[in-house]
Amino acid sequence: MSHSIMIRTFADEVKSIPGGEHLELCYSCGTCVSKCMIQQKVEPDYNPRRLLRLAIMDLKDEAFKSPTTWMCSECDLCYQACPQEIHISQVIAAVKKLAVEAGYTSPLTPVSVDEELCSGCGICVMVCPYEAPSLYEKEHNGDLDRLSEVDANKCMRCGTCVGACPLGAIAREGVSNTEITSQFGYVIPHNPLLVAFVCDWSLREDADVSLLESYPEDQVKIVHIPCTGRIDPQHALMALDSGINGVLVCGCKPGECHFKRGNHVAKCKISLLDAMLKQMQLNDKNIRLVQIGTQERGRIKYEVDDMLSTLKAPKEAIA
Amino acid sequence: MVDAARQPRIDVRAFTEVEKVEGFVGNFKVTLREKAKHVLADRCNGCGDCAKVCPIEVPNHYELNLAPRKAAYVPMSQSVPLIYSIDLDACIHCYKCVEACGSLEAIDFSQEDKIVEEDIGAIVVATGFSHFDPSVMEEYGYGRFPNVITSMEMERLNNSAGPTMGNLIRPSDRRNPQRIAFINCVGSRDKRYIPSCSNFCCMYSIKNAVLLKQMNPSVDITIYYMDIRTPSKGYEEFYDRAREMGIHFIQGRPSLITEDEATHNLFVHSEDITLGRVIENEYDMVMLNQAAIPQPDQNHMSSVLNVAQSPGGWFMEYHPKLRPIDSPTDGIFFAGACQGPKDIPSSVAQGSAAASRASRILLSERWEIEPIVAVVWPERCTATTKGRACGLCVKACPYGAVVIEGDKAAEIITAKCHGCGGCVAECPEDAISQLHYTDAQLLSQIRALLADKPEEKILALRCHWCSYGGADLAGTSHFEYTANERGIKVMCSARMDSDFIYEAYRLGAGAVLFSGCHPQDCHYITGQIIGAKRAVRLKKIFERMEMTEGRFRVEWISAAEGDKYARVLNEMQDVLDKMSPEQLQEEIARLKPEMEKRLKRFPGVPGVPEAMLYSDNLVDAILKSKEIA
Repeated sequence: MSHSIMIRTFADEVKSIPGGEHLELCYSCGTCVSKCMIQQKVEPDYNPRRLLRLAIMDLKDEAFKSPTTWMCSECDLCYQACPQEIHISQVIAAVKKLAVEAGYTSPLTPVSVDEELCSGCGICVMVCPYEAPSLYEKEHNGDLDRLSEVDANKCMRCGTCVGACPLGAIAREGVSNTEITSQFGYVIPHNPLLVAFVCDWSLREDADVSLLESYPEDQVKIVHIPCTGRIDPQHALMALDSGINGVLVCGCKPGECHFKRGNHVAKCKISLLDAMLKQMQLNDKNIRLVQIGTQERGRIKYEVDDMLSTLKAPKEAIA
Repeated sequence: MVDAARQPRIDVRAFTEVEKVEGFVGNFKVTLREKAKHVLADRCNGCGDCAKVCPIEVPNHYELNLAPRKAAYVPMSQSVPLIYSIDLDACIHCYKCVEACGSLEAIDFSQEDKIVEEDIGAIVVATGFSHFDPSVMEEYGYGRFPNVITSMEMERLNNSAGPTMGNLIRPSDRRNPQRIAFINCVGSRDKRYIPSCSNFCCMYSIKNAVLLKQMNPSVDITIYYMDIRTPSKGYEEFYDRAREMGIHFIQGRPSLITEDEATHNLFVHSEDITLGRVIENEYDMVMLNQAAIPQPDQNHMSSVLNVAQSPGGWFMEYHPKLRPIDSPTDGIFFAGACQGPKDIPSSVAQGSAAASRASRILLSERWEIEPIVAVVWPERCTATTKGRACGLCVKACPYGAVVIEGDKAAEIITAKCHGCGGCVAECPEDAISQLHYTDAQLLSQIRALLADKPEEKILALRCHWCSYGGADLAGTSHFEYTANERGIKVMCSARMDSDFIYEAYRLGAGAVLFSGCHPQDCHYITGQIIGAKRAVRLKKIFERMEMTEGRFRVEWISAAEGDKYARVLNEMQDVLDKMSPEQLQEEIARLKPEMEKRLKRFPGVPGVPEAMLYSDNLVDAILKSKEIA
């Protein structure tokens, strides 16, 4: 007697891929959709529940074309919340695998590698949470050059590799090195001025975003980044050097990073930076990392106010 | 409750725990612990003067800790019987209560727990249910956000005898809430916590919403739900009424609640499934409809009463469809939510049914049972031969009908025995037999069926309730299967003794089928599990003997699976057909000594005349045991 699964439908195909087994347990409660921030922040058509439904109903082409298939960054917040314990990101990954096999490609623009600058060091390969970059060899002027290339279907555009590349060879539109540094040119230090690197996903609620935006431009300068993994310690130092008093890096709580482990990378970078500032006998309180959880509504205001008051304090003492 | 307490033939024992239940239907001996109240029941008149003077305040469990009570207290003013008790854990021994009680002299600090034994004819278990604690679901913030409360707490706040005299207020600022959300399925239908549906929460949340809306029509009420389940009469109409009253229903399970720290208002994040869009709404107060769970001491109760529990922890009924009120132990019945989450009408119906089932026992002089019970031959029990009973029979019995006292031989409480035969097959000394299914009877059947050309025969052992029915269905449906099948019926797969199978192979049977119910369908609670364990063991033994695969087969076939019965037998026939006659003969001859060796270990396997004698002994034994009962 054989017990092998008969693959008759698209749903069977998805279920035959490891991770996709529990597809049909979904009873459409919608927890995953509201837990995920992509629909609110980026793409109104993003809906994991509906993708599962498309797969169950064998609507193959629609599933392959759905933005959900391509935009899920496998943060697994929905998996933790799912009452049916369906590993939703794995189901989506299974659909994506089938889509790639069927010749569909990701609508997202991946990061780009500048072949002239790339030294083939492989740091991007180590740091990427999605295994998107890989090294290959290319003939250049008679020599074999080791270069990095990025798989467009795997890249989720978190920018962690951009922040990690020692040569600045990787760029992602919107947050390339020049685009970030140009936002805080040299200023005359007349005011406690704070630059806040804010991860797009850390402030869940619109109310929090508008709270942050309510600070006047000459007090708090906001730089939006896709993930705190993108920050570059050099940017913080350049900001301090150009007359800004403090740097605040705002990211997600451990375990809630939208890009798996970008916030962990950021934490490592900031603690190294702190150690460096201490060695240089500079005030390490002026660079801070805050990690905000999904339920910590309003915390950003306390953090910014606290930082501004510490920045103000020595000034008053001098005056 | 007051009526019940006044009824002369109802004896209400408050503050009393059941310690031990012994005996059987009609003759239970129940040991009760009457806990010390430190107030003499026959003197206390319930005036409450002791509570007035008591200086100690502790949270009142009855009010879900939303209000205080004194150390001298009754949980609520409608308590029955209205007798105060002193909570010694909180008492500071100021003895002000003694003074206040005055000449009544009802307070006695020296009182101790009393153990009483009662003769009981039938037992109705109505221990109710408990609630899932939603504080483990961090996403809803219960316990951290003051205005997230459970619906049970809301019931207390909304009750005119409750701590706020029926004025529903927000715990954070004591304002009346204007925007209220109910969240259904908190903890229930959730594989991480309670996988099952709690049955009554949909109607319960609609009831609460309608109640609040009636009291104050300006209140804005939203119910978040996954599915609304309104299965009973009039329920759907009630749901319609709630919609007409302007109560909002949003299909979507909230994934997160956040709080504004300044106002303590709450923001509920969910998907509106019909729109396919994420929504965030602001509320003054959120009420969680938690899952119903078994009482925390349900496990303890189930071991005291010797009744089984279903996978969720609820008490398990004898049969979900045919005997939903009876426990597997005769004379013990279930009423209400201790057997599974239930709403009030179902609980009342089950309570009435349990009472009438119980009165059937109380009103009858004699209690008739099936004549297929097990009996012990005490001379053979290891207690007699080796000085100590092995206890395998006790483990095998799903009904607790086998008892071993000290170093005496095992005894069957005939009134508790349902005749599955598990103990009979498990007994390594063949000291237990089952009337009408004795070893001798079954062995002579096997011998008769395998008398002629045994190597061509397939011996099928079938249980009465399922696989025998399956075989029957295969016949009445005219499914064709091999004519070499020879069937034997026993009550349960637990009765299928290894000896029978060894004997069949010793006689040269071609193949043997070991079949019974699917695990969840077993008529004898765990009989199938006992049978299945034995079958797996046998399978391994035959594998080690290098018996051809398929000559011994274990299959679970329900009474509806006639086609499966026919298919399995045909497949077994195929196995035999694939072997050449010489090959089969050679294997049978090779294994015969092995089987004989195994059968020699047992004193059983009597010849037919011997068996007749044996059965006479048994009849004597059962007559004797009946006299005792």
